[in-house]
Amino acid sequence: MIEVNAVTKTFKLYHRPADRLREIIFRRPLHTPYMALDNISLKVNRGETLGIIGRNGAGKSTLMKILNNVLLPDSGTIISHGRVTALLELGTGFDSSISGLQNIRANGLLLGMTEAEIGARQDAIIDFAELGQFIDEPLRTYSSGMTMRLAFAIAIHADPETFLIDEALSVGDGNFQQKCMRRIHEFRQQGGSIVFVSHDLNAVKMICDRVIVLNHGKMAVQAEPEEAVNYYNQILAGEQKDYEILGGKKNGYGTHKVKISCVRATGEDSGGDILSSGENLILTVTMKGNADIATITLGMMIRDRFGQDIFGTNSHFMDFPLSIKSGEKREIRLIMPMSLAPGKYTITLALHEGADHTNECYHWWDNALHFEVSGIRGHNFNGVCNLSPSIEAS
Amino acid sequence: MNFPLLLHFVRKDLIDRHAASALGALWTLLLPLSNILIFTLVFSRIMGARLETMGMEYLGSYGYSVYLVTGLLAWICFSATMTRITDVYHEKAGLITKVRISLISLPIYVVISETIVYLISMSFFVIFLLLIDFNWSIYWLWLPVIFLTQQILAYGLGLVFAILSVFLRDVKEIVNVGTQFWFWLTPIVYVSTIIPENWSVIFVLNPIYHTTKAYRDTLILGQNPDFMGLGIVAMLGLSLLAFGVYLGRHVERDIRDFL
Repeated sequence: MIEVNAVTKTFKLYHRPADRLREIIFRRPLHTPYMALDNISLKVNRGETLGIIGRNGAGKSTLMKILNNVLLPDSGTIISHGRVTALLELGTGFDSSISGLQNIRANGLLLGMTEAEIGARQDAIIDFAELGQFIDEPLRTYSSGMTMRLAFAIAIHADPETFLIDEALSVGDGNFQQKCMRRIHEFRQQGGSIVFVSHDLNAVKMICDRVIVLNHGKMAVQAEPEEAVNYYNQILAGEQKDYEILGGKKNGYGTHKVKISCVRATGEDSGGDILSSGENLILTVTMKGNADIATITLGMMIRDRFGQDIFGTNSHFMDFPLSIKSGEKREIRLIMPMSLAPGKYTITLALHEGADHTNECYHWWDNALHFEVSGIRGHNFNGVCNLSPSIEAS
Repeated sequence: MNFPLLLHFVRKDLIDRHAASALGALWTLLLPLSNILIFTLVFSRIMGARLETMGMEYLGSYGYSVYLVTGLLAWICFSATMTRITDVYHEKAGLITKVRISLISLPIYVVISETIVYLISMSFFVIFLLLIDFNWSIYWLWLPVIFLTQQILAYGLGLVFAILSVFLRDVKEIVNVGTQFWFWLTPIVYVSTIIPENWSVIFVLNPIYHTTKAYRDTLILGQNPDFMGLGIVAMLGLSLLAFGVYLGRHVERDIRDFL
């Protein structure tokens, strides 16, 4: 359990550190204050996982350092029961010239374990990290994956009451990641608390019970994961402009008799370009005519991060004829249930004549915009898309 | 900070630092040895004659070596402790910003580590003295007292410098240069009588002059040290340490923010 009451942290920004000395001696302020955390209160109960999300510089890392007692707050209190172990940066204090085994000892002591505890858990750590006889080799011979596995194994075996995780779950290959997740799950079931900071919104939705959104050092919202993630997306969206077309090659090619002037993809509920699987995606395309055209087809293709075509359609397939006059602007909206698996996707758009773009292509724009599916509404599923089956038994 | 962690730092400092080199921790001892060789070769003729009039004639041709080593080993330990503590927060910044470590007691590992190096060097010196039929005396019991006084001073000074160096990186260089001057302003390789009488105020104000003299009075000449001088040095060391602890507590938040 860890509890934070009204914690405020201001960093004094000096031109040079020496100004701090001059300030003490001459007793006049020489700094610009920067409020990193403003009146933050939170509580993580036993067995609970609290997520913290926010933009870069929102105060997430400062809060984690205060929870870990590495930074001292200006005011406010931190109450924690039992050992607080941070997985801030994996492998803090690792020495590459000594063996993995010696590093277990060194790292364990730094994490606050006693010699006896280290001795007792040593084999479990080596086993968990899947290092085998490599454990007696110097750390410099390890691959980065092996180092990370060792670091994670030590941290999770430190057996803390509260575990602070800062962007550290992308450890090793898929197998090992699943093992880590299982271990974290066990840890929670045994009553351990977790504070989890990440930009991986999908992971946040998956493991957190509650999520806090930090914005400019203030607690913007504290809510259920999905609600908090949506709120966070609104913060992000508020600072991103629509994809305005400025001309030039990167905005595609074509005869430009009619052009796409503005596109946007938003989740129906999230309001931003990050949405949950199962939510509706609204794709808004604004096109502008430079000539009178009677038959226009608007096409789109969703591709995954490997560039694979996932789904594509066009207004011709959908029997929705479009036309435009010179100087006219039209907005077209495509609404589709986003049944795709969590991941990052791009959308390629095209305006052409007829069923495909081989007759005359007015405007073809590869990767015009991207969106992210994060978290799943309803039942979990594997694979690339959700076929929403029903289940019966006789 | 807990004791096993402190020991771990000491061990890391003494052994792991040299884990990749063939001679390993032996390098720690080769530095004082090379210094002793150089100074003996350069100064033993010049200083030897003067030493014979100072009650050390019984040591014969080894007189200068014994005189030099009693002062030099202690100085190397003192200066290494102080200068390394000065840099300790920068050296361990990676840990201080990640793991909860007491800033005040962190430097103790340097004190322990350098003390071990001193004890090992001294044991070689003792073997050397056994070989040359040295006149042992009960006054050797003063050695730990004088050494403790010196290390408290090194810890106190180092702690204050370490805190200052967080805000002013130049402190490290200033301390390094200052240590060079300090070394030559202390009669370690030379005999104090070669300095004109009216300059002796430099010695009186120099705390390490008093500890160096105390080592020689007790270890070589077999007499009591100057209690007054040693006492003042001890007081100075303790007050600096107390000031360092006070200062450290006062600006701990700033130190952690700056690192």
